[in-house]
Amino acid sequence: MGTDRELLDALRRGDDEAWEETFRRLYPCAFAAARHPLASLTPAEAEDIAIEALTLLLPKVNQVAEFDELRLLVITIASRKAISEKRRQLADKRGGGDLTSLDAMQDDETIRFEPAEQVAGRLSVTDLRDLSRLLDAALSGLEPRNADLLRDFLVHHLSYKELSEKYKMPVGSVGVNLARSLEKIRAQLKAAPKLWKELVSFLR
Amino acid sequence: MDADSFNDLALRVIAGEATDTERHALEAELSAHPERQDEYEQMRIAHDVLRTTAPMAEAAQAKEPELPAYRMNELRTAVRQHFGPAANRGKNSSGLISALRWIFAGGGLTALTVLVVFLNLSNHTVEVGVYRADLMRNGDASLTPQDVPTARLMTFDQDTPFDQWQSQSLAWYEHAKIWVDNEHDLLHVVRRMDHGRISRETYPLAPTNEGQRDQIKQTVESLKN
Repeated sequence: MGTDRELLDALRRGDDEAWEETFRRLYPCAFAAARHPLASLTPAEAEDIAIEALTLLLPKVNQVAEFDELRLLVITIASRKAISEKRRQLADKRGGGDLTSLDAMQDDETIRFEPAEQVAGRLSVTDLRDLSRLLDAALSGLEPRNADLLRDFLVHHLSYKELSEKYKMPVGSVGVNLARSLEKIRAQLKAAPKLWKELVSFLR
Repeated sequence: MDADSFNDLALRVIAGEATDTERHALEAELSAHPERQDEYEQMRIAHDVLRTTAPMAEAAQAKEPELPAYRMNELRTAVRQHFGPAANRGKNSSGLISALRWIFAGGGLTALTVLVVFLNLSNHTVEVGVYRADLMRNGDASLTPQDVPTARLMTFDQDTPFDQWQSQSLAWYEHAKIWVDNEHDLLHVVRRMDHGRISRETYPLAPTNEGQRDQIKQTVESLKN
């Protein structure tokens, strides 16, 4: 297959080879998104979610303007499904699926998924692209060691203790460094007021 | 409390890393300085947004693992279900121009003949939907393409594509589709009747794997006749 433009045209025509190539290209992204640390699904569960997310691209192919949007689309779909799946598993485990039971309502662990579900569920492809660029720019503006520390905290969800061991620094310093770095990124986010306003609206 | 200490304390609480003492210290600070409540809220939003979206942004760079080969058939089925049979796809503008040229060059009569023959041959496809796992589990009693040579065997690995296939209307080229519902011990048959009317029927499922295979074979044969 030639350019991404030609590939997208072939996908719209339902070309089998084009779809197979697309599935091969996008599977690693879909799988990585399905292994979102908040969801912490097993590899087998993530594989199922990734495959389902790929099939959900079929009806969307006429709605994207360029091939790369499919990549972002499959990531948002897979992440959302993975987080929802984890929440469902926890709800089943705690309340036998009955979210109104007393046991389920008390100390409901699933509540911690609400912000993530809100964000992942409403984030558009454009939002994700803008956020990725902004995050890259913000991280590259930090000291490399602090950028790595923050990346491990945000991307891999390492705990303060894990970060302290990995970066060989006291837990107290981990907290201070993270707070300062996050503050800088927050300042950059606020410099994109439209995006920031939209993100805030997802969570309020 | 200076800004650095406040941000550190707030992030610990938001990230679930704080001790009870630290949580109480933050509550006390926010009570004493309500103007910091907004600061805290902004940090919580930034934390929640970034901890959700940063892994997604990172996923865009992923290069592995490769798509498992055993999942490809499932994806091919999804493509076929969405776009219809391969022979019916890939019509583009240059194809259209060629077709027009062909018609104006005197191929119209031939095309009409082909169309009549084609319409006679269409509407005869029967699809049989089964779970791949059931085929593997049933061993020698499994349904094979040789058992139903006149039908198209559709295998599924997951509930969602199988459910989609079941709920989809019959395609223009399809005469019928049948599938086994092990949960309710039923055989489902959806068929096109006279004047395009669609009939949906269920039959009690034969109790054994061999019986079910024979039941499907007989149903396919009856649908072809």
